[in-house]
Amino acid sequence: MNDFKIVFTGPPGVGKSTAIAALSDTPPVRTEVRNADASLGPTHTTVALDFGQVDLGRGQSARLFGTPGQARFEFMWRIVAADAAGVVILIDNSRVDPLGEFVAYLEAYRDLLPQMTFVAGIVRTEVCRQPSADDYVQQLTSRGLAFPVLEVDVRRRDDVQVMVDMLLTKVRSRL
Amino acid sequence: MKRRLASAPFSVAPPSDSALADQALGVVLALLVDLDGAAGILVASADGVQLAHGGRLHGDPERLAAMASSVAALSDTAGRETGIGSPRCTVIESNDGRLVVRGMPLRDRAVVVAVLTGRDLPLDRVSHSMAAAEARAALQRG
Repeated sequence: MNDFKIVFTGPPGVGKSTAIAALSDTPPVRTEVRNADASLGPTHTTVALDFGQVDLGRGQSARLFGTPGQARFEFMWRIVAADAAGVVILIDNSRVDPLGEFVAYLEAYRDLLPQMTFVAGIVRTEVCRQPSADDYVQQLTSRGLAFPVLEVDVRRRDDVQVMVDMLLTKVRSRL
Repeated sequence: MKRRLASAPFSVAPPSDSALADQALGVVLALLVDLDGAAGILVASADGVQLAHGGRLHGDPERLAAMASSVAALSDTAGRETGIGSPRCTVIESNDGRLVVRGMPLRDRAVVVAVLTGRDLPLDRVSHSMAAAEARAALQRG
């Protein structure tokens, strides 16, 4: 396989579009509109998908897709995740109940968890140290799951690259 | 809790801007009259929150509002990326009917209007009615 489809998902405002923009070699395709819900933070929100591309070297590339965050767009989560090699779940540690949101996303992707490769990226840990990465791992373990949980700054290309590299290492090991 | 007009197949969501919801309902009613009731009409905010709906809608209006928002945003992005400009409307034409989606401003807010019809209602009539609805909204805005 020389081309990988990677999906970034997570709650609204967590930084999915930012992560894709940080890593993509080309200006991302965005479907952002003005956000009518000020409590979500950003002034704009994705309502369909984001799309970017990155050259991984050695003739390999990845297509990066982002989902909308709000639960009312759950129908898009399935459309975007179809045939993906791996999924990145981003969680904002500064939100009221980040562990609850993590569990909600595990539930939403429950039937895909056995067949796809996942990693979790925890953002804004510099603002809020708790819960720790171990707390997230514990949530996975209690559900019989195991995948990497990383603290990331999605504005930094290197951070996003590390997360994607880790995902692709696991994807390649399953091929 | 949705505000529902007594014995009428219309519904208005309770957004913080009630004037916006009232105008959205006005768009729904005007389109229903224009199209002789032969359609389902829905108005949603650009970010996919249902504002008002009426007529023959199939499925959950909340879900249709989110889908209409996604369709409109994808069309807008495709128009921009391909250099053909902002789409006037997007048509999903199926064996048993059409879904026509059009973005328009309402009280200086971007909204999405979705019209669901059978194949018997001519597409140009639907498009004309939606354009007229946008023109009326612009007049009200002054």
